[in-house]
Amino acid sequence: MIKLTTLFYRYISLLLLCFVQLSEAAEYKFHGIVDLRVSSSDSLDNGYVAGGQGKFGVSDGQQLYVAQAGMDISAQWDNGLSVHGVLNSFLDQEDSAVGITEAYVKYRSLPNEAGYRVQVKGGIFYPEISLENNAFAWASKDTLNSSSLNTWIGEEIRVLGSEFKITRLGRINNDAYDLSFSATAFVNNDPSGALLAWHGWATSSRQTLWGEARAFPWLPALAEGEELSAQADKSKPFLEIDDDIGYHLRGEWSLHKKIALSAGYYNNKATPYDVVNGQYGWRTRFYHLGMSWHVSKNLMLVSQYLSGDTLMQSSPGVDVVNNDYSNGFVSLTYKWQDIVGNRKHKSTVRLEDFSVTDNDDTVGDNNNENGQAFTLNHTYRFSSHWFIAAEFNYIDSQRPARTYLDNSTNLIEKQIQLSARYFF
Amino acid sequence: MNNKSIKLFLLLGLALLSTKGYSENRCNDASSNKNCVQILVESNTGQALKDLVVYLEPLDGQLLEPNLEHLVINQEGRAFSPYISVSQVNSDVNFVNKDDITHHIYSAGSENKFSFKIKSGETNASVEFNQPAEVAMGCNIHDWMSGYLLVVNTPYFAKTNTQGYAYFDITELGKYKIVVWHPQMKSTDNRMIQEASVLPHSQFSFKLKNEMAGIPLQESDDDFDFLSDYE
Repeated sequence: MIKLTTLFYRYISLLLLCFVQLSEAAEYKFHGIVDLRVSSSDSLDNGYVAGGQGKFGVSDGQQLYVAQAGMDISAQWDNGLSVHGVLNSFLDQEDSAVGITEAYVKYRSLPNEAGYRVQVKGGIFYPEISLENNAFAWASKDTLNSSSLNTWIGEEIRVLGSEFKITRLGRINNDAYDLSFSATAFVNNDPSGALLAWHGWATSSRQTLWGEARAFPWLPALAEGEELSAQADKSKPFLEIDDDIGYHLRGEWSLHKKIALSAGYYNNKATPYDVVNGQYGWRTRFYHLGMSWHVSKNLMLVSQYLSGDTLMQSSPGVDVVNNDYSNGFVSLTYKWQDIVGNRKHKSTVRLEDFSVTDNDDTVGDNNNENGQAFTLNHTYRFSSHWFIAAEFNYIDSQRPARTYLDNSTNLIEKQIQLSARYFF
Repeated sequence: MNNKSIKLFLLLGLALLSTKGYSENRCNDASSNKNCVQILVESNTGQALKDLVVYLEPLDGQLLEPNLEHLVINQEGRAFSPYISVSQVNSDVNFVNKDDITHHIYSAGSENKFSFKIKSGETNASVEFNQPAEVAMGCNIHDWMSGYLLVVNTPYFAKTNTQGYAYFDITELGKYKIVVWHPQMKSTDNRMIQEASVLPHSQFSFKLKNEMAGIPLQESDDDFDFLSDYE
């Protein structure tokens, strides 16, 4: 039997082949970001990216690093077809990496007479969830660290699949609002949920590269003879373990320049007891809600909420990890144009609340967590491409698993960051 | 001539010039073309309405010289500029992209379906409009962009000025169908119609029955320039 993943790759190569024949008429585009960062963190010895228990992308102390160098390369045709490759690199003292984060082909039709537009996407891409990471190469637009909700999306949620999206344009129907609905069928996201269980919610601008393996903190259940001894020492979120197809559904209602409301549901349909090379299937399901509200000309409120569960078993019916989790944030971005007389300054304040509830009895694997986070960012647009930002991050969390490495359950972490970001 | 008299002279000259400008627009001035026709458009509350299209279609078989002026529809500031354009059938229509990004202009209507991508700095003159039509245009990359082109079968077309007036220098008097149109006018086919005999110094006025619907704001939801949505 041919594996599903192989079939998907073949289907995408076939599409790519068709596009190559059209290459003469293509318009090529290069967009991206370079984010040079200096940060000072009051956290644990190792941040989560280095496999530690710290909740920031960088470990305790000072660091000068390339937080992101990413590029979105695309070829676009007049008929609505486009091919995209998104390359990202993260060069720091934690776990530097260079690779692909997204690669997909897209077809966007013109709206028909009734105002309906169809968009089809195939390949490796992010399901449409984050309301923060909408700059090129999935960079966060208003803050340096993404919220913990979207940092998790960037770390463990990515799919190889096909997304079908239909949009009803209000303009053509004499309605003030637009509507859209999308459905995605996907593979290669079976282990998602493992890193959330083992390091909890975290916050950074890091994204997991396609195929990348990520470290997580040690816990007693991983020891020889214990429940999790078959687990590999790093987790690879983007694998297909059981050849079952997962899905993501999303709907959005928006009033232009006023408000956009969205809701979605993700289910990777992983078989929770399948394991291949130390990587388990984690049946991860969650719903998500989003709101972007133009409170006034200069004030924007963005809020997201996500809640779901994940399940991993040693054999059918025997739970090893059975977690519920939820996360919500509210952020306010204020543009200073009426006060300073130019459009160069903006400030963002963000409040987050997150939790993980461990429902299983596995010894040496307590995944419980509860925490709040606060972010304050000020960004100055120095020139049309350069953005200078200062950001303060504060996380207060309770996580009993920290005691496995002799750290305390209750922890307050703080970080100050300065960055120069170049967008192109 | 001393300084004072030069100033006075200049002022007088300016006054004369401005009177001339005024008289060219106004039909009730003795020096104006006697066939000039004035049309006023007001809202349901009596406010002057600007940028509504007014056109006069001959009903007595008057033979009129076509007005085939080149029309330019700009894409500027990620918006159609102007929002509303009007031209006679078979006129050249040039789309000019003054932005530093590519647009994907389209019309979805069944009678005037067209689409093209237009890169920064390019001009596109590929679309021919040889039938009267109400063309609603959009950009498939930037959904907030919205523009209209009204194609009419008469050389007598104009948009009302800020005082709500449109003026026509009518060469062939007689019976005309006078039409006022705006995509946000809440009435049948977005227009009001009067049939009337056009005489020298004719003045017509239109008062809308309903309040106009809001003109869509041609602005992005987000003014950040580096959003991946647009690619």
